Formats: sequence, C-alpha cells, structure tokens
Amino acid sequence: MSKEQKEYLKKLKKEKYIIFFFQLLIIFTFLFLWEELSSKGIISSFIYSSPSRILKTINSLIINNNLFIHIWITLKETIISFVLGISMGFIIACLLYEFKLFAKVIDPFLTMLNSLPKVALGPLIIIIFGANIKSVIIMALLINLITSIITIYNGFIRTNEFELKLFETLNATKGQTLLYLIIPSSYQTIISSFKLCIAQTLVGVIMGEFLVSKAGIGYLIVYGKQIFNLDLVMTGIILLAILSYLLYKLVITLENKLLRQK
Amino acid sequence: MNNIIKIKNISKKYRNKNGEIDAIKNIDLEINQGEIISLIGPSGCGKSTLLSIIANIDKDFKGTINKDKNIKIAYMLQNDALLPFLTVYENILLSLKIKKCISKDKIDYINYLLKIYNLEEFKNSYPSSLSGGMRQRVALIRTLALKPDILLLDEPFSALDGKFRLLISDDVYQIAKKENITVILVTHNLEEAITLSDKVIVLTKRPSSIKKVINININKPTIYEKRIDTKFNYYFDELWKALDLNE
Ligand SMILES: Nc1ncnc2c1ncn2[C@@H]1O[C@H](COP(=O)(O)OP(=O)(O)OP(=O)(O)O)[C@@H](O)[C@H]1O
Ligand SMILES: [Mg+2]
Repeated sequence: MSKEQKEYLKKLKKEKYIIFFFQLLIIFTFLFLWEELSSKGIISSFIYSSPSRILKTINSLIINNNLFIHIWITLKETIISFVLGISMGFIIACLLYEFKLFAKVIDPFLTMLNSLPKVALGPLIIIIFGANIKSVIIMALLINLITSIITIYNGFIRTNEFELKLFETLNATKGQTLLYLIIPSSYQTIISSFKLCIAQTLVGVIMGEFLVSKAGIGYLIVYGKQIFNLDLVMTGIILLAILSYLLYKLVITLENKLLRQK
Repeated sequence: MNNIIKIKNISKKYRNKNGEIDAIKNIDLEINQGEIISLIGPSGCGKSTLLSIIANIDKDFKGTINKDKNIKIAYMLQNDALLPFLTVYENILLSLKIKKCISKDKIDYINYLLKIYNLEEFKNSYPSSLSGGMRQRVALIRTLALKPDILLLDEPFSALDGKFRLLISDDVYQIAKKENITVILVTHNLEEAITLSDKVIVLTKRPSSIKKVINININKPTIYEKRIDTKFNYYFDELWKALDLNE
C-alpha cells in the first residue's frame, strides 16, 4: 500500500469518528435539554415525560418481568409478517407473471386494495380472527404484501427484452423462462424490496397491536394512554424507535451480504 | 442435392388494433443441405419475420414448411444476450439446459469450440469482462453447442466492426463448411453476403417476396481470399444492380 493510500484511509477513518462524535453529541444534548427543561418545569413532565422518568419506567417494567416479553412479541410478529410478506409476495408475483390474463383481471382490485387505508379493515379483522397475534400478522400482511407483490412484479417485467428474445429463440417454456431468466434477473429488485417491506411491516404490526391491545410495544403505548401514564407512552415510543432502527440496520446488512455474494 | 427444408408459398400478416400489415407474400424457397444462403433486402421488408417462421417461433402464417422432424434449428440474434449473472460456460450450457440435451459429446464439443476461439481462459469469467467480439463468439458457441442442422443468423455481426467482423464471419463459414451445417444469414452487408454464401436471395420491399436469386461461385477456402478474388467485383455489381436504390 502506498503512503498516499494509507493517508487517505486514515482520513476516512477520522471522518467516521467525527461523524460518530457529533451523532452522540446530538443525542446527549437532546436528552440533557429534555431532562433539564422538564425538571425546571419549563415543559410539563407529565405530558412530555423525561429521560429519568423513562428510565424509571423501563426499570419497573424489567422488575415486573414485562419489558422483554413485549419487545419479544413485537419482534416475533414483525419477523413472521416480514418473511410471509416477502415469500407470499414473491409467489404471487410469479403467478401474475405466468398468468398474464389473471394479472389483467385482478389489476383494478390490487390498485383498490393498495390505495385503501388498511386500518379501516382493522375492526373486521379482529372480529374474524379474534384479538390475538393472528390479527396483528394479518394487519401487517395487508400493508406489506401489496407493496412486495408490486415491487417484485415490476422487477419481473423489466427483464431485458433481448434476453427474453433469446429464450424465445430457444423455444423455452414459460416455466423455464421464469426459472432461468426472470427470477435471477430480478434478484437485486427482490433483495432491495426488503427495506421497504420491513418499514411497512412495522407500521402494520404496531397498528395491529393498537387494535388487538393484548401485548407488544404498540400495546404499551395504547395502554399507557388509557391509564393516562404518559411515561409509559413515551417509553413505548423510544423502544419502538430503537427497535425499528435496529431492524432496519439488520435488513440493510442482510441485503448487502446477499448482493455481494452474487 | 437433397433439400433439407422446403418453404412453399409462405405469406404472413401482422395484425393489431389499427389493421393488418403485410409482411411476407408468397415466398418459395428450397434449401439444400450444407448450403449457405443470404437474405438481403430493404430495412423492414420482413427478413426477421421469415427467420422466426422458419425457426417455428412464429406459428401464425400461411403456407407450408416441409422438413424432417428430426432437423434441429438454432437461431442466433444480433444481440448476444449473454446473461450477466452467469459465467461464460454457464451461458453456453444454458441453451443445452433449456433444450434438455446435455451430453458428454456436446460438452466435449463446447470445450473444443472454446479452445479454437481462444476463450478457454475466460470459461469462468462473467460476460461483463469480455469485449464485444468475444461476447459474440460466446453467443456463437452457445448456438453451435446445440449441434444444429440449420443455423439461422439474424444480422449476427452487425454490432461488431472491421477486422473482428471479418474474423467471426470466417469462424461461421469454416465451421458450417466443416460440419455441413445449413446456414440462412440475414445481412445488410453486400460483402458479407457475397463472401459467405453459395446463394444470395434479394427480397423486395414489404411485403417481401423473392426478387432475384444470385448463385455465388468463388472457389476459395476463406472469407478473406474470397474478398480479394477477381470474381468478387462481378458479384458485387450483380447484387448492386439487383438492389433497387430507389426502394
Ligand atoms: N410484432 C409485430 N407487429 C406488427 N408489425 C410487425 C411486428 N413485427 C414486425 N412488424 C412489421 O413487419 C415488417 C417486417 O418486419 P421484420 O422485422 O421482419 O423486418 P426486417 O426485414 O427484419 O427489418 P430490419 O432490416 O430492419 O431488421 C416491418 O414493417 C415491421 O414494422
Ligand atoms: Mg430484422
């Protein structure tokens, strides 16, 4: 490695530290101001809570043995809905591609379902599936499935026309074309639909937990609101922020890994 | 000589919402085993359409095509269409995989072709690392690997320039003559038509029918030698006159 290259790498590393430093600075300044303003009574600690009250709430949740259960439930629902959303989206996209007429028939219904605010279906889902984890997963699927179908299908139809023509000249069957050309060509699109899907899955899961009101981080938030314990509401929001950030990071790492393998 | 394929009175119309387009009108063609013929004609006259019909991709036409059902036809396009996510070798095997005809013979043949075209060391590379000429050669091997009796070539070299174009045309010429493959070549290039073929078929503008058939007889072993033969100029002139420039 040349001297210049070494210096360049050093510079990159330095920049990374500087960025990290400022990020920490923002977090701590925010927490500090929040704490100070509420302890001085400038903002209402009853409504806006404060870092120390949130810590206390978290502590009592841990003592009652509840914290990790709620986090785990939300996490479990998210993972199940995510995996189902991607795999069902993939299968349905394949069917739509294979059966073009079918795709044309259901196109307006997909558009309708896509633009419908899915939360409106919440009460119906609870009545049909009961107030349990099933309803939460159905809610999340309603939100993430349409997007994953549309994203993957759009990847399919963007396949290179010359490559399609090649398969035609080889008299390939529809199945062979799908298996050897369409799916491998859409690999990148499929993988990058993960990002979109995880964000939408979280929306659906929290929405589901609001409606079902049994367990999970979404439940903590509605429950806190019901008993007017806004510390609990704020704690739920902070936990959710951390969880969604970590999940998003995880998906990005997974994506990069899968894309680099190719 | 015996005909490998007899094309009788082929006509073809394309249809869409706005009406019909006559693409081909009453084409008759008898092609002998091992013959190389070129189709030459104005742009958009229906040459690719005719190849699709011969290749049995387009089944919506009038007329008949007589050939033995064991005759294998392979079709090579202008665009190499190498799949970017497969290696050179996997790309070549793809055609065999789709036709479900992988065999020891064919694998040996592929390795032989890779060797004579100097592509052996790129066997496991991805297409993105090859030059245009090399890519087209890989596409040629992919087509030849099927061991076709009839090879259909739709302007296969037009994306290449100069020397490479000549080299790969000669590749095709040599292999076709050596293995007695019948070739139908669509080209816009007069030199290519004359140096490669035994027969040049000049088509009219759309709807295409046969305007003139020119038999070529330059007895030389390579494209290059045919190009510098004195008879070349005579055929060039013939062909030039047959192609009406007002069309
Ligand atoms: N799928 C299609 N639907 C309607 N018209 C078509 C279709 N394909 C081709 N045509 C028309 O049929 C005619 C013949 O097309 P074809 O591609 O066979 O011509 P070509 O001789 O190969 O042209 P070129 O020299 O440009 O390659 C053209 O006028 C074209 O516009
Ligand atoms: Mg054409």
